[in-house]
Amino acid sequence: MSWLEDRHLFLIAILAYGLSVVYSVFLWRGGFRRDNWTNYSLLASGFVFHTLAMLSRGMSFARCPTQNLYEATLFIAWSMVIVYLFVGIWPRLRFLGAFASPVLFAMGIFALMPGLDNQAGPIQPNRALTSLHAALVLLACGTFGLSFVTATMYLTQEHDLKADKLRALLSMLPSMERMESLIGRLIAAGFILLTAGIAVGIANLKFTQDTFIKYDSMVLWALIIWTVYLLVILLRGLHARRGRSFALAAMASFAFLFLTFWGFFLLSSIHHP
Amino acid sequence: MSVTIIGISHHTAPVVEREKFAVADKDIPSILKKLRDCGQIRETVILSTCNRVEIYLTPVTTPEKAIAVAMETVFPGHDVESQADSPFYILNEPESMEHLFSVATGLDSMVLGETEVFGQLKLAYKSAVEHNTTGAILNKAFQKAFSIAKKLRCNTGIQRGSVSVASVAVELAEKIFDILKKQTVMVIGAGDTSAKTARALAGRGVQNILVSNRTYENALSLAKELNGRAVPFDQWPECFDDVDIVISSTAATEPIIDRSILEPLMQKRDWRPLLLIDIAVPRDIHPEANFVENVFLYNIDDLQTVADSYIEQRKQEISYCKRVIKEKSAELIASRPGAQPRESRQDASAGRLNPGLLEPPAENL
Repeated sequence: MSWLEDRHLFLIAILAYGLSVVYSVFLWRGGFRRDNWTNYSLLASGFVFHTLAMLSRGMSFARCPTQNLYEATLFIAWSMVIVYLFVGIWPRLRFLGAFASPVLFAMGIFALMPGLDNQAGPIQPNRALTSLHAALVLLACGTFGLSFVTATMYLTQEHDLKADKLRALLSMLPSMERMESLIGRLIAAGFILLTAGIAVGIANLKFTQDTFIKYDSMVLWALIIWTVYLLVILLRGLHARRGRSFALAAMASFAFLFLTFWGFFLLSSIHHP
Repeated sequence: MSVTIIGISHHTAPVVEREKFAVADKDIPSILKKLRDCGQIRETVILSTCNRVEIYLTPVTTPEKAIAVAMETVFPGHDVESQADSPFYILNEPESMEHLFSVATGLDSMVLGETEVFGQLKLAYKSAVEHNTTGAILNKAFQKAFSIAKKLRCNTGIQRGSVSVASVAVELAEKIFDILKKQTVMVIGAGDTSAKTARALAGRGVQNILVSNRTYENALSLAKELNGRAVPFDQWPECFDDVDIVISSTAATEPIIDRSILEPLMQKRDWRPLLLIDIAVPRDIHPEANFVENVFLYNIDDLQTVADSYIEQRKQEISYCKRVIKEKSAELIASRPGAQPRESRQDASAGRLNPGLLEPPAENL
């Protein structure tokens, strides 16, 4: 199957995500009144090809596919889908798919842009630790991505409850409290993963370069993101900023993460030598 | 063997007349026994609710004889055929089967699509089964009715939404709060609609209810009924921090809650979501309160509009439900042992396109 490369498989996954976007438009226009199995199935089928694409790439390069921007974007999107497929087991949370698919589709298109797939890759003195570090950080990004998606769903429901009451009542979206709680949990999970990823990165540096910290744009980026999410968690916990403010903070944090990730990545001497 | 129905309902008689024919639950077993032993009725079920009294039966010989015996037993002194303006109706197949399915689905109810009648029909059937007055025909008919009703209720919008102001308010609360049981409700002004709304919330598990009213005795009375706590009218703002849902219906001529009051209060309550239900006219809560973060305000017009829209949506589902009911009742009648095959029956009723309009077997006429 040499003609079927990992990029082709990923293209099929993007196609499934694209179909999910189209279906989501109908779900959105219909006011989320129907059960959402079709959309869930579309995303699940996309996930299968997405996983195959990553496996195929991992096997052909004999490493975890987390070394360049293309692979990193693939991994973040994959993390988002796997978390969604788990959360979507609960019927009302399945509607997250309608909000997740446009993000996944956009990420997929971004990943396929020329120049992102630099196959040379960085030098890997300790492949296992490097892979674990990258996987944890990217999984954290995926989880933050899903918190962004949930926050979008929250704001949609909030808007409907204030301005389009009938639409809000007819929709099958979960309650505001449940959505807010889910955003909080996703951010907490992402934060734990990010902290673990940073810790493994520090251990890796110590192991390979005998230093705990090294100035690098990507290291700086990780610390900024870690601080941003810590603030979001603290603001919710200590100052009790809830609801709309919390949802907006979750959205803004991920937007910042996603928009700055590639720039910092390209400037990094460790991650992009 | 076919199913015949004799009945009186909200379609044919007002409540003053219906109540004369109501059959008490305690009398049903003895009536069932009498009907079973009369020799003219093979199977029977009696449904008695506030909106209808109906006898479902299968005659031993002819429907006319069975009807006469049933009328004499259940409604003595009333003859359906002798009175031109009789409130009773008689339905034979296929209309009787379609009627049974419609009743189970809530299509024949006063509030379209309501679910209470489904439970009442189940109880009526259960009672008949316990007293051994059902057999193959009614068992199959009722079981089919329950199954079709469930399918139609699940797959159409016939029961979707709430059609009263109180139930719309409950539904809105469920869109905001994950677990209603944990929420605290405050009723300001113990009017009729606010009491109904509070009762509906209590029915969904709300346990903490505070009632405040200008006349303290009224507050005490409602609080006692709802297992809540009465609060003197001048003290309700002090309890506001703990409240999640406010139902307001005072006689105040100016808003008693506005944005300037709410914003500091929301800060005190850690910005927890707050549902405000304003059913007072003139309004008790200034419309700008809806702009405060995590505050959701609904006035009586909002709730009524939603309830009306639901009713409209339910009406749109009627034609589809009726079509399904017609088809399924025709299928059920055709599936009975001894029934003519569907094709030959369709030949016999040449020119009729809808299988639901097929004539019942000749022996049943």
